[in-house]
Amino acid sequence: MTYHFGRGRSRWLPYLLLLPGVIAYFVIALGPSMATTVYSFTDATGLPGAPVNWVGLDNYDEFLFLGQAARDNLNAVGRTLVFCFFVTTIQFTLGLLVAIILNQKLRGRNFFRTLYFMPVILGAVIQGLIWSLFLYPLGGPLAKFLAVFGARSEFLGAQPTEAFAWVIVVQIWANMGTTMIIFLAGLQTISKEYYEAASSDGANRWQVFANVTWPLLTPSVNTNLLLNVIGSLQAWQLFLVLLGYRNGTQVLGYLIYATGFGQTSGSVTSSFRQGYAAAASIIMFILVLVIGMSVQYVLRRREARILE
Amino acid sequence: MNTTSSEALRLRNGIDWGRIGSYAFLVLLAIVYLGPLLMLVNTSLKTTPSFMRDATGLAVEPNFENFAEAWEKANFPQYLFNSVLYTVSATLIYVLTAVFVAFPIARGYVKYSGALLLLFVIALFLPPALIPQFQLILRLGLYNNPIGYILLFIVNPIGIVILVNYIKSVPKELDEAAALDGCGYFRFVWSIVLPLIRPAVATVVVMHAIGIWNEIILPTIYLTNKDYYPITRGLIVFQGVYGSDWPVLAAAVLMLTLPMVILFLFLQRYIVSGLTAGSVKG
Repeated sequence: MTYHFGRGRSRWLPYLLLLPGVIAYFVIALGPSMATTVYSFTDATGLPGAPVNWVGLDNYDEFLFLGQAARDNLNAVGRTLVFCFFVTTIQFTLGLLVAIILNQKLRGRNFFRTLYFMPVILGAVIQGLIWSLFLYPLGGPLAKFLAVFGARSEFLGAQPTEAFAWVIVVQIWANMGTTMIIFLAGLQTISKEYYEAASSDGANRWQVFANVTWPLLTPSVNTNLLLNVIGSLQAWQLFLVLLGYRNGTQVLGYLIYATGFGQTSGSVTSSFRQGYAAAASIIMFILVLVIGMSVQYVLRRREARILE
Repeated sequence: MNTTSSEALRLRNGIDWGRIGSYAFLVLLAIVYLGPLLMLVNTSLKTTPSFMRDATGLAVEPNFENFAEAWEKANFPQYLFNSVLYTVSATLIYVLTAVFVAFPIARGYVKYSGALLLLFVIALFLPPALIPQFQLILRLGLYNNPIGYILLFIVNPIGIVILVNYIKSVPKELDEAAALDGCGYFRFVWSIVLPLIRPAVATVVVMHAIGIWNEIILPTIYLTNKDYYPITRGLIVFQGVYGSDWPVLAAAVLMLTLPMVILFLFLQRYIVSGLTAGSVKG
């Protein structure tokens, strides 16, 4: 495009002013991101001045195949997938349902919208602490509620599976608002005429949803599904705040952090093995890529079918 | 779904079950969202012995001492100062550099602007930068250093993409007219473009600032000196010490939650537009 602001030397001004932002991006984000691959083939530690040696595929070999630790790692990968599956399906469905309800003309809908969206801004630490209190086992609200049915629970201190399930609940509580908002924005782009036509044809609620809302909502469906899948594969902040690094609850993101920066729990001890953690990062990256691409592929085919 | 179809349903059944069902669902969900918050408020107003006796019982005689105690013991002023310092300075540096990256890319005033934009878009799909980033900061001697910590937050590729998209809606004739009037490049971006793209800048600023404010992983990794902790890390430390004294801890959490909630009510529309930017078109 024609540049109007002078010639000769002053033509370089846009480049000069662009540089700080681009350099920062390359040095702080893009470069390190690429370098993760390189580090995954080394025995780098987090200690200053320690030598870094090339170890080839040793880190990957150890992560995937070496004894009990490898079994723990693969369990963490499996757990990450389970976490992703439950968070995505529940958050997606709930977000869609709430958005459709709140897209009606209802009294107080702004209040509900704001309320459901609010946790998004609080951040993992406050979200986690609020729920730790709510799940307080010695007579907290949920313990009281369960006691009515004669059930008892230790919540976060209990069996790993139960604690894990609660992190899923809190994760959805914290992020459902985002899904809802994106669906609401999508719903508002659907012209009212479609609904009027459908209702004059005598369509019932389900038919209206299946034939009007769902196909026309495709862009938001795609965005939400991808955001939820990728987001939940990478999320582990709430595990940090709610549970700490505990056996039987680790997900891949937490594992990377713990191996790279040192964390001890029970039989699992780890210390600043950053080359190893880089290899784990690459495994997570491949996981996100493969699942993200498959979701993308399915969505594209679905879109093509709808457009036919 | 919409009013017309629900009206049709009402005529058929006499009672609008759809509407009643909707409200029932919304209220039930509201309890799940409000419950934990109300528990927090109630606990913060109780004395420790009364919490131990009956955790969920209403705080009949509100006790505000927890707040004073939490404020005194938690070192909040220092942590809050750090959080404000990190958030404000990193956001400021980021947004100033971002505008000068986004504008020439949106206008095609620099060579390869399409490829450059792509480099910012693919950031979302790249491997985590955590480990090499740490090695970089360590080797620069900026580990456990506020400047090193701030550096981590002066980048945000999504913000660039949002700005580029918005700048494209500013008419190009404006550039020509301003140049004819003798306005220079810097002055044009600074005093004409910047005010025009204020909504997008506000969105990016709000999203970026919230991200820094709530960050917990990076301070855990990069800052070991307590004097440098932001409020999130400070809260975790406080939980470590007072974890069993829930009334005081709840008061501390509440003191940090309330300002966020109030701020949220004012900034909501910027957050919403940030989240939905580009997602509707797909």
